Amino acid sequence: MADATFEGQSLVKTFGELHAVDGITVAVRRGEIYGLVGPSGAGKTTLIRMLCGLTTPTSGEARLLGHLMPKERRAVESQFGYMPQERAVYRDLSVAENLLFFGRIYGMTRRDVARRTRELLTLMHLADRMKQRADRLSGGEKQRLSLACTLVHEPDALLLDEPTIGLDPALRIEFWEHFRGLSDAGRTLLVSTHYVHEAERCGRVGLVQRGRLAAEGAPADLKAWATSASGTATSDMEDVFLVLTRNGTGGSR
Amino acid sequence: MKLYRILTVTERVLHQLWHDRRVLVFMLLLPAIAMILFGYSFSGDITGVRAAFIDEDNTDLTASILENLQADDAFRVTVLAPGNDPERLLLKEGYQAVIRIPDKFTSLYYAHFAMGVATTAQGTIDLTVDESDPLIASTVSMGLADAIMDLGEGGPINIETRELYGVEVRFIDSFAPAIMGLVVALISTVLTLLSIVREKVDGTFSRVWVSPVRRSEFILGYVLAFGLIALVQSLVVLSIGKLVFDIVINGSIVWAFVSVILFAVGSVGLGTLLSALAQTESQAIVFFPLVVLPSVLLSGMMWPIQAIPAVLRPLSYVVPLTYSNRLLRAVMVKGLAPWEEPVGFAGVLVFVVLTIVLASLVLRQSAQEAG
Repeated sequence: MADATFEGQSLVKTFGELHAVDGITVAVRRGEIYGLVGPSGAGKTTLIRMLCGLTTPTSGEARLLGHLMPKERRAVESQFGYMPQERAVYRDLSVAENLLFFGRIYGMTRRDVARRTRELLTLMHLADRMKQRADRLSGGEKQRLSLACTLVHEPDALLLDEPTIGLDPALRIEFWEHFRGLSDAGRTLLVSTHYVHEAERCGRVGLVQRGRLAAEGAPADLKAWATSASGTATSDMEDVFLVLTRNGTGGSR
Repeated sequence: MKLYRILTVTERVLHQLWHDRRVLVFMLLLPAIAMILFGYSFSGDITGVRAAFIDEDNTDLTASILENLQADDAFRVTVLAPGNDPERLLLKEGYQAVIRIPDKFTSLYYAHFAMGVATTAQGTIDLTVDESDPLIASTVSMGLADAIMDLGEGGPINIETRELYGVEVRFIDSFAPAIMGLVVALISTVLTLLSIVREKVDGTFSRVWVSPVRRSEFILGYVLAFGLIALVQSLVVLSIGKLVFDIVINGSIVWAFVSVILFAVGSVGLGTLLSALAQTESQAIVFFPLVVLPSVLLSGMMWPIQAIPAVLRPLSYVVPLTYSNRLLRAVMVKGLAPWEEPVGFAGVLVFVVLTIVLASLVLRQSAQEAG
């Protein structure tokens, strides 16, 4: 796909006998929110790690902004942001010090980091926590700090691995509002989640099961396919997931 | 209090340990290693001190002294021709003691024997000894005294000991450089190890790895931080050494700092290397004794390497602190430049290059595994 920000072509990753990712082909267009939805252990994290160049595929090709990963990662390293599943912040640094470190390693000036820190901490409701050590933050606050660290260098493309895991429902909604805002500003987001209902908030969704892409499409299309596959009206995303992954009747548009 | 609840907790802890095989193996190996190292290291006498024997008199009596010295395990005696400068032999040639018997030694010895108290003339042996290790120095003095006693003639012989460094070197003087090296090795290795393992566990490593930071920059960042810390630690050791214990510092402080920082760089590399073997912080902690025990017991810090039994001595030469001790003692006590102690200097340089290169390679692997 010519305008794909993230592109995986027949991606396979094996760890010994285990096929963590088993032949996934996926393309995420510029400016869209693409949700990778599936249970824990389905292969979402491995897929994301291949797309950002952290893991070398056993076979197949991973591309980010047209560059082969991990071989050409250096060409695009400043243009994408990666939020690992762990909170991935320095526990013994303060909120501001974490942002300073992650901003500076991307070549930002101290002044620019200070400006971004103010913006992001206001957006994340962490402005009053600026000097707090990360290990003294609540779980939700740490998660917000982790997202802020991913966004500090203003990347165009974002790979967010289970960003809402462990958050309460209100905070999850808030996170998805941030994602929508980022998408509206022209950024591309690849977001993995095992909360099936969050698929509703994505432009397109890939349902991942046992290392394979069971179905892919806009949430409305997935519902339509599930309805036709099951013979009954299926509008709940959990039912949609169960029908399409069980029958293997999913399609792709 | 219920016994079954206590036993349930015990069972859980044992299960956890059982699942962490690296920790389990280490827990069993550690007491064995500690017992062997402590047992052997403490029981050894000093042997194989490199001694040069210069005989300017060449008589049966001096030949007997040489024979007695050669029969003593404490010495590895090399006979050298007259005219060799004892100071050069000690500082440049790696000898630890030079025993020189001057011309007319035998005649003076027998003159005293014949005339008794009527003459003050007596045979004198010149002893120049490397006092940077006081245990070696006292072994040499005692060994030479024994060799003379064994002559069985009972005549008076004066041993004139030259102070090579202009002052008497005490144990604390040779201990301070070793403490500097040990503290730097421990802090740099252990904190680097813990810090990198924590990066892996917390996922920050993955974040850094996808950023523009290169592996070399990552390591150098650590090196700079711990280099600075090493500098401050050395200042503390030297200040207390000077102010409280009045230690001898014959050499250049600048070279001492350069040597310590060099050693800190290697220790950061070692910490990074060890981090590849640990996936969790508890696995990292079990490596601590692996760094501490050999450093304290086998590096020549507490007692000379010649006091370590031959079976363990090869291990001394793979312990980095052995070379740091040699280098720092040469620089601080002997007043040499680093390159004038080639074994210590080369050992530290090899340690630095080897660990940093290997660390860079293992970081690539760790990044693949992280997260």
